[in-house]
Amino acid sequence: MNTTLGREIEYLPQSRRRLLVGVALAGYPVAVAVLAGLKHTSLNRWLILALFLLLLMPTLATLIVGYRYARGRIDGRRARLDERDLALRQEAYALSHRVLTVILIAATAITEIYLTSGNTLQLDANTFWPAAIWVIVYLPALPSLMLAWIETDQPADA
Amino acid sequence: MPDSQRRVHNRLAVLRAERGLSRRQLADKLAINYQTIGYIERGDYNPSLELALTIAELFRLPIEAIFSLKPMTPLSEEIFRDPPAATS
Repeated sequence: MNTTLGREIEYLPQSRRRLLVGVALAGYPVAVAVLAGLKHTSLNRWLILALFLLLLMPTLATLIVGYRYARGRIDGRRARLDERDLALRQEAYALSHRVLTVILIAATAITEIYLTSGNTLQLDANTFWPAAIWVIVYLPALPSLMLAWIETDQPADA
Repeated sequence: MPDSQRRVHNRLAVLRAERGLSRRQLADKLAINYQTIGYIERGDYNPSLELALTIAELFRLPIEAIFSLKPMTPLSEEIFRDPPAATS
């Protein structure tokens, strides 16, 4: 990633960063839901796959931007992390934990309601993989996304 | 800065300008990132006691001349508000 683009990402205003975080978090579940819906139609499988990948693009792009924004600070690799960086990192991890807790409780509650309503849930590749991919992708990305969410706009250079 | 945290007002921008220091130069002297200076000046980040004391030491001023819990008035106003008592 060239430095101009890197600098643009570094100086993204908070409102735009929050929009990107929203897209990153909602994009994958939406793509999976669309895929699940289209599977039962007569649409060509390649067309469904292409549509799924197209829907996945904004998620991937926003995840990369979120990672790039927090890179070095969230993973502690930057040579000099000062006290504000450390406080911000701590806050981002705490918020990630809260968000993850809400998502897991909501997912458990929805599954519980679904099962107690007389439905059955079959654990196969179709149900396991979307959940596994969510865990693999979002668990490491969540702290970066939360840092991008909480940090206020950078002061202009002076 | 968390909403629950009380804002600490400061004269950092004025002092920095007075000494002709850029944010980067001041940050280098304090071994912190230059963005942190901007966040402190804007009141978006309250420095730790250690950093506040280091800043006070750097400017050779008492800490209360730089940081305050109340909004700060211009230094000139403070100087002229309480004229020194006349000597006999």
